[in-house]
Amino acid sequence: MKPDVAIEGIARRFGATTVFEDVWFTVDRGEFVCLVGHSGCGKTTILNILAGLDAPDSGAMLVDGREITGPSLDRAVIFQSHALLPWLTAAENVAFALTCRHPGWSRGQALAEARKALGRVGLDHAGDRKPAQLSGGMKQRVGIARALAIKPRILLMDEPFSALDALTRGALQEEVSRLVSEAEQTGFMITHDVDEAILLADRILLMSNGPGARIAEVVVNTLPRPRTRASLHHMPGYHALRDHILDFLITRSREFSAASPPPGWSPRAVPEVKPAEGAAS
Amino acid sequence: MRRRLTADPLNPKTRLNGCGCGRHASPMACAAEGVPGPEDAMAEVAESAVLRATFRHGPTRRALVERFGAAAVLGALASVFPLDAAKEAMAQGTGAPEKRDLKIGFIPITCATPIIMAHPMGFYARHGLNVEVIRTAGWAVIRDRAIAREYDAAHMLAPMPVAMSLGVGVAQPIPFAVAAIENINGQAITLAMKHRDKRNPRDWRGFRFAVPFDFSMHNYLLRHYLAENGVDPDRDVQIRSVPPPEMVANLRADNIDGFLGPDPFNQRAVFDGVGFIHILTKELWDGHPCCAFAVPRSMITDTPNSFAALMRAIVEATAYSQKAENRREVATAISGQNYLNQPETVVNQVLSGTFADGLGRVQRVPDRIGFDPFPWHSMAIWILTQMRRWGQLRQDVDYAQVANQVFLALDAGRAMRELGLAVPASPMRTETIMGRTFDPASPGAWTERAIRA
Amino acid sequence: MPQRVSFWRAALLSAALLAAFLGAWEVALLPSAATGPALDPEYAALIGAAAAQGGQTAMPAPSAIALRLVELLADPFYVRGTNDQGIGVQIAYSLLRVGAGFGLAALVAIPLGFVIGMSPLLNAALNPFIQVLRPVSPLAWMPLALYAIKDSAISSIFVIFICSIWPMLLNTAFGVASVRREWLNVARTLEAGSWRTAIRVILPAAAPTIVTGMRISIGIAWLVIVAAEMLVGGTGIGYWVWNQWNNLSIADIVIAILMIGLVGLLLDRLLGLLARAVSYAE
Repeated sequence: MKPDVAIEGIARRFGATTVFEDVWFTVDRGEFVCLVGHSGCGKTTILNILAGLDAPDSGAMLVDGREITGPSLDRAVIFQSHALLPWLTAAENVAFALTCRHPGWSRGQALAEARKALGRVGLDHAGDRKPAQLSGGMKQRVGIARALAIKPRILLMDEPFSALDALTRGALQEEVSRLVSEAEQTGFMITHDVDEAILLADRILLMSNGPGARIAEVVVNTLPRPRTRASLHHMPGYHALRDHILDFLITRSREFSAASPPPGWSPRAVPEVKPAEGAAS
Repeated sequence: MRRRLTADPLNPKTRLNGCGCGRHASPMACAAEGVPGPEDAMAEVAESAVLRATFRHGPTRRALVERFGAAAVLGALASVFPLDAAKEAMAQGTGAPEKRDLKIGFIPITCATPIIMAHPMGFYARHGLNVEVIRTAGWAVIRDRAIAREYDAAHMLAPMPVAMSLGVGVAQPIPFAVAAIENINGQAITLAMKHRDKRNPRDWRGFRFAVPFDFSMHNYLLRHYLAENGVDPDRDVQIRSVPPPEMVANLRADNIDGFLGPDPFNQRAVFDGVGFIHILTKELWDGHPCCAFAVPRSMITDTPNSFAALMRAIVEATAYSQKAENRREVATAISGQNYLNQPETVVNQVLSGTFADGLGRVQRVPDRIGFDPFPWHSMAIWILTQMRRWGQLRQDVDYAQVANQVFLALDAGRAMRELGLAVPASPMRTETIMGRTFDPASPGAWTERAIRA
Repeated sequence: MPQRVSFWRAALLSAALLAAFLGAWEVALLPSAATGPALDPEYAALIGAAAAQGGQTAMPAPSAIALRLVELLADPFYVRGTNDQGIGVQIAYSLLRVGAGFGLAALVAIPLGFVIGMSPLLNAALNPFIQVLRPVSPLAWMPLALYAIKDSAISSIFVIFICSIWPMLLNTAFGVASVRREWLNVARTLEAGSWRTAIRVILPAAAPTIVTGMRISIGIAWLVIVAAEMLVGGTGIGYWVWNQWNNLSIADIVIAILMIGLVGLLLDRLLGLLARAVSYAE
């Protein structure tokens, strides 16, 4: 199956320093991919490149087999700090996105559809409020509604829950998980929260530390869906998965070196592991 | 025999610059003795003009006529030029005004009395004109608006059209003419109350004076007065331009020590207890001109009928204002908010000549201000000599010729005559200025920058 | 730290201060006994009351001003001749000129400011001209305008235009340049297009800054018109002030100042309403 999005050998440099290079990966239709790594490895840059807001210094991005630069409605972004337009109400914010997607729609049409989208994230009652009157969690939900409403090919998320408090974060993670699987939405998310990645992702890309970061390993998440926060840590294989990723983040990400990589590693064929499979618990 | 207005071009012996009967120096003087009817006069002028145009060279013309006879020459001309049509066209010159709605700017001073009172007292309307008189902020503004044709005619200081026509103080020479003089006398030197004991001009060194404008009779009279009393107007005192309405306010604020300015501001200073009247300008030069009714030369050629009607209205208004028995009525008409915007008693004191002088006495000078429209060329020549004297004019000009161009004695004279007023035989006369005689024929001595010790 | 103050307490204190000031003024000008020498009655009849007492006509007391105010406001819109019109008519003339000059300035400043805000190159290129022209006083522009344009009405409007354009221009440029990157990114990812981005994102985002610029500009425009009218004359509240000054009617001048202040306040309030309409909390 041809991948929806393919990243081929992108790199980012600042003067003499290379932030990352030789990054190759794909995202298939219906897949949810997480990118995990320490700060400074260029995760946000990679997301920006995927979103078309930034361009790589070398390499290319292919969507449906064609090289693409620049943003598009097919790649919707959920920003870290909601990025809602503060002079519009929640419904108007979503409606704005809808009119960009469907220029022929009337204002009434767009608003009606917007309210439906807000309903899907549980914000039916808050449609006429301005962002300043919403809590952090609600604002992020509007962002999610906005991104999903335009039915993008791939949903791009830049640490979307890191600015929220722990309780809200948990609730939203589950909602996104549900929405994504309901709609079979392709997704790509950046996070440094391991539990979040395990909850949401089908594959987890592990990035080594910058400068000179690479994708060191791909972890396939074999835990069965549906996954909930309540039941997740009881699933067999959860701890193995988690330990594996934590080990990487604490030790291996530092030690990884492209000059002398571990056996079997090459930029185009990053080894895939399945720590949860066959584990006891 | 019908008296001709202009020299007979068909008489081989005449020169066309002379007068009709050959006995006078100028057409003006000749005209005074008896006028041909307007249609005949126009016909004459037409003939004269066509002949001069065709045969520019005087001797050639005279030789032709002598050889072929007057009738033959005229007949030959008539065959190639529609002489009759021309005569008829000229005769229609005294018809209806081409432009009825006119705007006239004025500065709110009593010098403009005829221009102003012609509005409420109906003189403009009587001659078929719908005139709007617009109060203006200052002389520079009135000049700019007149040049820009926002005003069709304007109240100006008598020297202003002279300066403008010569290109002095403006970007390029703009031909303006003094169609009529507005007033004679009517100014005064007013000093601040604190100087009530300094009546001798020799004590005025270091004083700051105001005059309405650089090109004004006030400036020239003040300078002459100071010079005659041994004070150098450029070195010993400061003379600055202040619009007349601001003079009293400036005196009160102690910005100036005195001013030579127009009424009613001298009288207003007395009324407000701010200053006293030191001397009337009538005592410096009885009959001196002050303000003028100025028109652009183009008005005379483009809309001659409007110009003629306007002249009649102005001259009539002037004559009416001059009569002593009318003064009170005029004062009441022009002192309101729409015109001078001054207390009526102040205006009345100026026009009637019975006034408080600021030092406790009531003076009676009935001809404190006079209204006489005739633009004497000698006035223009004096103005030119003073412009030369104080460096406003850098080179010599032909004074008589400029005076002739700018001061339209002919037109004013005609209007005056139509109203039955006496018209002087010659636009030149000698003047008596501070005890010395000014002869316009030999003005040379007056251009010297003499400061009497 | 500004705390909430009771409206009535503040109002009461303001009123008390005003009353004290006016009272002191009135008392200071109470007529004193005649001090001048005995005057010939005919002479005294010909001069003003103050001069008859050996002084100069004085500053009017608040009571005299109040009387005159009532007189003027009783019939503010009369027209009794070209040079004699009610104070309401004069203010209307001034407001018309301000409207024209300010409106023209806004029409030029906001689009131009937009373009400058979006292009750092243009910003750098035009900045020197803006900085040099900005501090020039309206009274310096006036003679140049009269010389070049000749028509005094258009010159006044031009002077208002050239003096009030700068705050709007600079504020618009600044507002546009400072739009949050994030919002622009949202528009980009939604493929909004330059026009929609400009109208639906940049303009509302920069609107509070732009309206602040407009508020400053209207204040300047009102200031300038009074000065310009004094120079040129004809009609308008500035001309009215000059006219009353020349007639030494101080009461009228004080009233004119009061009117000028009140109208200026009204204009600012109007724009304040606009500011509130476009403001947003972040």
